[in-house]
Amino acid sequence: MVKQMTEMLKGTLEGIVLAILSVRPAYGYEITASLREQGFADIAEGTVYALLVRIEQRGFVDVEKIPSEKGPPRKVYSLNAQGQDYLEEFWRSWSFLAERIEKLHEGEK
Amino acid sequence: MAAKWVETLTGSLEQKKQYKQYKARIGALPEPYGSVAKALQRYFLYYGGVTDGETALTMLGDFADLWERAAADGTPVREIVGDDPVEFAETFAQAYTGTQWIDKERARLTKAIEDAERGHRNDSGDTDPGAGPGEAYKELNV
Repeated sequence: MVKQMTEMLKGTLEGIVLAILSVRPAYGYEITASLREQGFADIAEGTVYALLVRIEQRGFVDVEKIPSEKGPPRKVYSLNAQGQDYLEEFWRSWSFLAERIEKLHEGEK
Repeated sequence: MAAKWVETLTGSLEQKKQYKQYKARIGALPEPYGSVAKALQRYFLYYGGVTDGETALTMLGDFADLWERAAADGTPVREIVGDDPVEFAETFAQAYTGTQWIDKERARLTKAIEDAERGHRNDSGDTDPGAGPGEAYKELNV
């Protein structure tokens, strides 16, 4: 069960994180905390970090480095126009999938 | 004219310098972060992936940022890597889409399928029916 959840999340976490960033810019830890608040309790911080790195590489976010009292500067991520487009596409794909799967589920009953 | 040559040389020196800096950052991490970072770094080497120096350095720089941040905040190691360190290591490495050793083979596989499709459609005798699998492999090695 846990494994299945991990696999399913893998395909959607990117969209979920972009959705969080569409509300306001945030840094890694804030995003992890926000995910946990919303019930994704088992998400590892490193997973979120790896994902942020990926969306940065793909050009969906702008990154600003903010100096911190201790440790390296914190990277603050904000959704840019390209990320916004990608997020809209994510919601379309998601709606399509959710609707189809729900139909299958209803047919089963 | 010599400028390009010099640039290539200094470029690689610059990369060496950056790599040294990265090693020093990882070396300076307190425990258990240092051991964890080194174990992951070892896995990256075996897992392969990135082959161009620039991308590799970006990846290692981000990797050092992650562990310095974790050490500064005192975040438990398990909270960073999660239940499955392998999963974490691979997800992290996959984020860097620079040139990978597998790219050449990916292109070759795609092309081989396209060629086979085309050969089939035109019904041209591209493939020798008498050729065994050994022959096919030999052909691929050209």
